[in-house]
Amino acid sequence: MKTIKVLPLALLGTAVGIVISLVLIFTRTLPVQASAEANDIDNLYIFFLGFSGIIFGIVVLFLLVAVYRFRARPNDEREGDNVHGITWLEVVWTVIPFVIVVLCAIGGLIVLRSGDVEAQARTKGQQIHVLGYQFGWKYAYLNQDIDLKDQPTLVLPVNEPVIFELESNDVIHSFWVPAWRMQMNATPGQVNETSTTPTKIGTFEIVCAYLCGVGHTNMNSALPGSIIPKVQVVSKSDFDAWVTKQKAEAAKAAESSSAQTTTGSAG
Amino acid sequence: MTAVLKPTLARCLWVAPAFAALAILITVAARSIFGMTPVLQESTLLTVAYIAGGIGFIVGIGGFDYWFTWMKGGELDPNDHSQHGARSWGDYFKFNTDHKVIGIQYIVFTFIMFLVGGMFAEVFRSELARPGQQVLTDQQYSGLISQHGVIMIFVFMVPVFAGIGNYVIPLMIGAADMAFPRLNALSFWLLPVAAFTLLSSFMFGSFDGGWTGYPTLSEQSGYGMTLYQLGIQLAGASSIATAVNFLVTIITMRAPGMTLFRMPLLVWANLATSALVVAATPFIAGAQFMAMFDREMGTHFFTVAGGGDTLVYQHIFWFYSHPAVYIMILPGFGIISEVIATHARKPVFGYRAVAFSSAGIAILGFAVWAHHMFASGMEPWLRVPIMLSTLLIAIPTGIKIFSWLGTMWGGVLRMTTANLFAIGFIFTFVIGGLSGVMLAVVPFDVSITNSYFIVAHFHYVLFGGSIMTIYAGFYHWFPKVTGRMYNEVVGRWHFWITFVAMNITFFPMHYQGLVGMPRRVADYAPEFAWSNMVISLAAFVLGASTLIFVYNMIHSARHGKKAGANPWGGLTLEWLLSSPPPIFNFPATPRVIGGPYRYGEEGAKHAIVPEVEPATVETTV
Repeated sequence: MKTIKVLPLALLGTAVGIVISLVLIFTRTLPVQASAEANDIDNLYIFFLGFSGIIFGIVVLFLLVAVYRFRARPNDEREGDNVHGITWLEVVWTVIPFVIVVLCAIGGLIVLRSGDVEAQARTKGQQIHVLGYQFGWKYAYLNQDIDLKDQPTLVLPVNEPVIFELESNDVIHSFWVPAWRMQMNATPGQVNETSTTPTKIGTFEIVCAYLCGVGHTNMNSALPGSIIPKVQVVSKSDFDAWVTKQKAEAAKAAESSSAQTTTGSAG
Repeated sequence: MTAVLKPTLARCLWVAPAFAALAILITVAARSIFGMTPVLQESTLLTVAYIAGGIGFIVGIGGFDYWFTWMKGGELDPNDHSQHGARSWGDYFKFNTDHKVIGIQYIVFTFIMFLVGGMFAEVFRSELARPGQQVLTDQQYSGLISQHGVIMIFVFMVPVFAGIGNYVIPLMIGAADMAFPRLNALSFWLLPVAAFTLLSSFMFGSFDGGWTGYPTLSEQSGYGMTLYQLGIQLAGASSIATAVNFLVTIITMRAPGMTLFRMPLLVWANLATSALVVAATPFIAGAQFMAMFDREMGTHFFTVAGGGDTLVYQHIFWFYSHPAVYIMILPGFGIISEVIATHARKPVFGYRAVAFSSAGIAILGFAVWAHHMFASGMEPWLRVPIMLSTLLIAIPTGIKIFSWLGTMWGGVLRMTTANLFAIGFIFTFVIGGLSGVMLAVVPFDVSITNSYFIVAHFHYVLFGGSIMTIYAGFYHWFPKVTGRMYNEVVGRWHFWITFVAMNITFFPMHYQGLVGMPRRVADYAPEFAWSNMVISLAAFVLGASTLIFVYNMIHSARHGKKAGANPWGGLTLEWLLSSPPPIFNFPATPRVIGGPYRYGEEGAKHAIVPEVEPATVETTV
């Protein structure tokens, strides 16, 4: 009986796997990297694609070769080899996945740790209170004393840390900005904190990722006709100008509303 | 006229409404005596009617007849087997204590539910085929995706494995039946009640919070949400009762000589699964009770306004629902071990490693629940331990995959449809497993959770995993159950269409999620238009491929070639019996003399079934 050498086949499988990995890596489609964390997370993803392609290549090559080489011919009454196991081989295929998951854990911990360190360093910067509601987001700039109402646009300065405090006054929403690789639930009854540092100027989608009722579909700035404005990341000077304008408008609005109440009470 | 008094479905038709009416009457009386307004509180009356009607259905079908007779001191004949075994097709519609009848009842009923859940998917895929909303309103869309998930999980995937286990396990361990045959029948008949409760919620606007039913959205939903909570409790009760039955049966009723390490791997897998069910399922039942009490009785477990905590629901829910993933795949792993060993004519490679990896998955499965909650705002310290335990679970799973490859290597692979599904399963399950490893890593998970990447991942695990194993099992034991062979040519068409359509349906969803398409939405950004069209078309083909299977099963059961006792040359005990097996299984207690997979060993046997019981053993009543 012609035997097939397992080791060369494993090497061939690895080679096929590397090709699959490279194809996956070079055809990967991800949103633009627009935050300090995005690059790390994408590198993690590239690492995943790397080992996934190799494992997939090896498994599928062995599967196909087994089907081709060991398939029964018509009226084939032979039995297979009476092999119940090979201990060293079983040890090998326990150890290899173990090594891979350890590598994943290390990679994950490094990225998680650096994200957490960055998050802790973000004591300065914009502090934004995000209120999720059915169906939209309201933002308050805690250290600018700006409170935006009625489907406002989130405007942020580039390269400056942002700390989000998320809350909800009805159901669970999830504040997802794919370009920042950032998501956090807005949960009723608690404040969830997350943070990022936008590194690209431009407009980016804000998606509500958790089913929150009949308006959930439209709580996505990428939809045509959505009432959710995209987030705008602008230069520092543009941001300062915007802040000044907001404050002026807020002062004007406060003035007119107090004027209204005065006339109202006079009338 | 007597049909409506005997334990039949006809009796259910009046007993169930009578119970419901009585419950409503008592409630209305109590409410008016205590001056509660309004007296006719719709949600309260519906809830008591559903609960009482469900019990009435079980009473009607005869679930408690034996105990009622005993209670009123009636004659009970221990040798009365009139409710045991199918002598005509009508017996499949009755309360029956034969594990083989119950197995078929489970399989047929749950498969019909699979078709129903699949139809829901086809309807919302037609909505998703094009951007904009053409077919469904947001409310209807949310209702359909929620029903799709709940029906598939709670009344198809979990119980169909209970059905396969029911049919096969007592045969495999050489037992005459399950340990508690009446409890077994009761477990099955709870399922139609659960399914009715869930599906009838369409009359009340359905439940629309996804299959997870998180508060506080669940507090806003219409009455359908209470029926979701009730339905899951019923399905959970059925599941727990079956698991207790499996545990006791497997532990105490193995034939002489069947040590733990001579058990077929399907039995091992079900032992591990049943332990999981018994320990985990009470958590989801508890969560649903508390959520239902919040809605219907004014308690405040999860209502934020009343001082409750919504995050607690998520913890309890996933403490069951992650193990549930293993409840839905471990028995499938067992099926794959049986199918590959038998059709490759080779012993399972590394039997003990495969057996212990089931146990390892079952134990580790309890330590990973919070990986569904990385973006939920839970305690941040929990992220790292949960990430590590989730990554670890890949190791026992990997051992199984490699062991199956090792089993095929050097075998003589008979490319039957059963074996094709087993091989296809390895291909698709590896993809689902690898994306699972990715999702275990917190920063990556947080960047794409609740997106279509997740949808892709769990459909690769549940369709590419569980459903492929279910099909493999169906084809493998079809000759045993019906006594006839299925049509291999039609079976092969079924496999290839399902396999190709499945991959085209679910693979592109990875990309959609990575780019930013959230799940559970009825509409999407224009950039996803063509990929969604491709997915929807493939989903329709996938749905149609199921009909090929149904045709093959029905036609072959009636007109297929006679199968004989052992068409595959299997060594495990079920193949030593006629097809279909006799009503009381074995003519005499079998003796197990070796391992279950002694393929390639000249004249090797796993067990011997004596023709008659040795004369020395007198049966006394």
